[in-house]
Amino acid sequence: MSSTTLVLNSSSITLQEGHKPHCIISANLNVGGALVQKASNGSTGILVNGREITKSELQILKLAGVQCAGKPHFWLNADGSYQEEGQKTVKGKIWDKPIVKLLSPVLSLPTPNKMTNQCGEEAINVVNRPEYLEQRTTQKLLLVGSGTSTILKQAKFSYKSKPFSMDECEDLKLIIQSNIYRYIGILLEGRERFEEEVLADRRKLCQHDPSSSGRPESGFCDEEVTEYSIVPRLKAFSDWILKAMALGNLEDIFPAASREYAPLVEELWKDPAIQATYRRRNELPFLPSAASYFLDRVVDISRTEYELCDIDILYADGITSSDGLASTDISFPQLALDLRVADELDPQDTLLRYQLIRINNKGLRENSKWLQMFDDVSLVIFCVAVSDYDEYYEDANGTVVNKMIESKQLFESIALHPTFEQMNFLLLLTKFDLLEQKIGKSPLTACDWFAEFTPLVSRNLIDGTSRSKRGSHNGASLAQMAAHYIGVKFKRLFHSLTERKLYVSYVNALDQQSVCSAIRYGREIVKWEEEKPVFGSSETVYSGDEPSSYSH
Amino acid sequence: MASVAELKEKHAAATASVNSLRERLRQRRQTLLDTDVEKYSKAQGRTAVSFNPTDLVCCRTLQGHSGKVYSLDWTPEKNWIVSASQDGRLIVWNALTSQKTHAIKLHCPWVMTCAFAPNGQSVACGGLDSACSIFNLSSQADRDGNMPVSRVLTGHKGYVSSCQYVPDQETRLITGSGDQTCVLWDVTTGQRISIFGGEFPSGHTADVLSLSINSLNTNMFISGSCDTTVRLWDLRIASRAVRTYHGHEGDINSVKFFPDGQRFGTGSDDGTCRLFDMRTGHQLQVYNREPDRNDNELPIVTSVAFSISGRLLFAGYSNGDCYVWDTLLAEMVLNLGTLQNSHEGRISCLGLSSDGSALCTGSWDKNLKLRGMAWHELL
Repeated sequence: MSSTTLVLNSSSITLQEGHKPHCIISANLNVGGALVQKASNGSTGILVNGREITKSELQILKLAGVQCAGKPHFWLNADGSYQEEGQKTVKGKIWDKPIVKLLSPVLSLPTPNKMTNQCGEEAINVVNRPEYLEQRTTQKLLLVGSGTSTILKQAKFSYKSKPFSMDECEDLKLIIQSNIYRYIGILLEGRERFEEEVLADRRKLCQHDPSSSGRPESGFCDEEVTEYSIVPRLKAFSDWILKAMALGNLEDIFPAASREYAPLVEELWKDPAIQATYRRRNELPFLPSAASYFLDRVVDISRTEYELCDIDILYADGITSSDGLASTDISFPQLALDLRVADELDPQDTLLRYQLIRINNKGLRENSKWLQMFDDVSLVIFCVAVSDYDEYYEDANGTVVNKMIESKQLFESIALHPTFEQMNFLLLLTKFDLLEQKIGKSPLTACDWFAEFTPLVSRNLIDGTSRSKRGSHNGASLAQMAAHYIGVKFKRLFHSLTERKLYVSYVNALDQQSVCSAIRYGREIVKWEEEKPVFGSSETVYSGDEPSSYSH
Repeated sequence: MASVAELKEKHAAATASVNSLRERLRQRRQTLLDTDVEKYSKAQGRTAVSFNPTDLVCCRTLQGHSGKVYSLDWTPEKNWIVSASQDGRLIVWNALTSQKTHAIKLHCPWVMTCAFAPNGQSVACGGLDSACSIFNLSSQADRDGNMPVSRVLTGHKGYVSSCQYVPDQETRLITGSGDQTCVLWDVTTGQRISIFGGEFPSGHTADVLSLSINSLNTNMFISGSCDTTVRLWDLRIASRAVRTYHGHEGDINSVKFFPDGQRFGTGSDDGTCRLFDMRTGHQLQVYNREPDRNDNELPIVTSVAFSISGRLLFAGYSNGDCYVWDTLLAEMVLNLGTLQNSHEGRISCLGLSSDGSALCTGSWDKNLKLRGMAWHELL
């Protein structure tokens, strides 16, 4: 049975039979007959307009100051005023209290539109007029930075029954199949580079000391074979791919031809030369960590019958083939606010909807005009990979850039963008596990911005594990201190730019639960912002100074 | 085969020599340019157009969008207007009666541009979804009351900032994109016919924000970009731009061909409009605003359009001003933003009807406004 219509003036509440109220319809709508008492399966024994109300509605009435003892029967009028059945005296108005309007959506109950307040006074004193009271009931959260497509994908997996449509899956397959060629291209380029370096070094060595190279093989200096060398047949294929890359039409050839060439790619991938190159992948720009996951299965992936699994989707580089904007709607299940609500929740009932919008930072510059289109978002979620501190890439002009510095600059330009002047920012720090793996060998100071990082570390802690309880960090490991320091640097930066507080949280993007709690934190921030005028901005209660727990 | 490193070195050297040649060209041009349109016209004794307050009246305000208006376009014939807004809808208006004939809900609400097909039966729009969607206005709405998309043109790797149908050809459309390219599409098959820029040399080096097709020679079109240049393209030759026009000092937000198809006007973030000669590449005139008394930053030019004869250049600004420039004398003869009933926010787009009798402006105040041009036959 389909539920009924739209929001107009209040009085009767429309609903799906047997379910909680959905929305409020006009008092003047002459449709059907009187409401059935059991229409919303209420069990409170209290009737409003002839319908037994549900427990959550009872909570709201209590909050509105309605005396509910003794199972009274009420009559609710269009303007929110109520009186006991059969009596003339109007007892009050349920919509007058701000808390009623604030909490109704939490309990998934409808509230009247701003326009309906007929006594003319400006509806509510809540300065930040909550979105859900207007036509649009969606709060927008903007995802920007690195690793955002993974987070969006996790959100889709968590909150949607059918996360990806057929078209989207086809699109993702295309991304994966063409990326394989991009990865092998990067490896081939790296291989060539390393081979040349080794050969150049050898030549230098021979020039300086031709007689005693200490090597038993004669003709050592003529030796052109290195650990990075490949056989001529493979070299021809490699040259072809590299040429296509240089001309920029790699994507035109593949993945159309992918099935044919997959076995060759597999051979290349397994070749010791390429494996040797792969071991030095830190020096290869643009090679994502998931490259090996896909290259291992190149033949399988290149088949036409290839079917995506969730992990494939998660590791795929990007979310749409145009790598443009991607978004997903999220409706949250009821908040457990210590209000025990036994009623079943129909997802359609939730008025509070969130939309996670992910934008690609590839084209994002300081004065990107299209950012103006996001002036109606409630929160900007900026993602940074903490493991980027010692990673580099080559930009369009050939300059080598530190990825963490790049993130910092992007962060600055967005924080300073006029569109986001009063906007709340949540910083999500990801890839803590990768940081943990390398912090022992590669100090945080590899990145200029963190040059002042001097953790109080006893010898026990240098290898990254915590065995000692001494020191002000209560046994935090070096990795934890490093990650914390990064958070602090961003917070200070944000404050210096905007005089405002940056919210920070840590997330493991590959762990669905972790992503969910990060999104929930984002939602909390949005709510705190709205409730500030009502509850007062008690910073100490709502905004912790410490980032939330490390989850990995 | 040369190694990748060697190729890169050669590329860097080539770029450096191109840049120095460009600089020499610029200097040479400056020495050749002895006068501009304004000085020449004044020397000829021309005087500025003068306006009565009644000449450009606001005849109507088109209300209906619940978000900022980003783009508008007129039909070539029927006096219909299509507008795109932040609320994620396209609305088709009958300009004569102010009625809304269609309200199309878009799949991706971040729309930046819209255009009418020459026969007035389809509209195209594009935005942050990196695609251009086409709607046939005569199709039936589906169960949810939404108009179905008749085709989606995908392939761009960046947002679609502008689109225009090739005049008199329902089947071909050009888009400009944040991926620095322009693309000519075949609407019936959805395929890209040509790509202008991108991997091919002489393309723009930054986001393309606007384009304009030459109505007198529909094989030529110009594109304006964040790289501060305008480039002229021939539809038949995608491999290189015919000409590049330098002069502006900021992102070029809007380009429009002059009615005679030999010149074009531009509007930019640097606060100026400029008139360029298509064939020679010379910058014929700069239209500079008076700096504001409070010395605030100059408002940027968001959109430009010419009157039927080209004597007037309309320019919309980010502070809500809409200047009417006398093209010949480089004088601002009227500021529509100071008239009664003017927009309360930035002017984001404007356009003249095909017969030149009406000017429509769209703004961030969510409205469109129509103004009649009393002497349009003369101007």
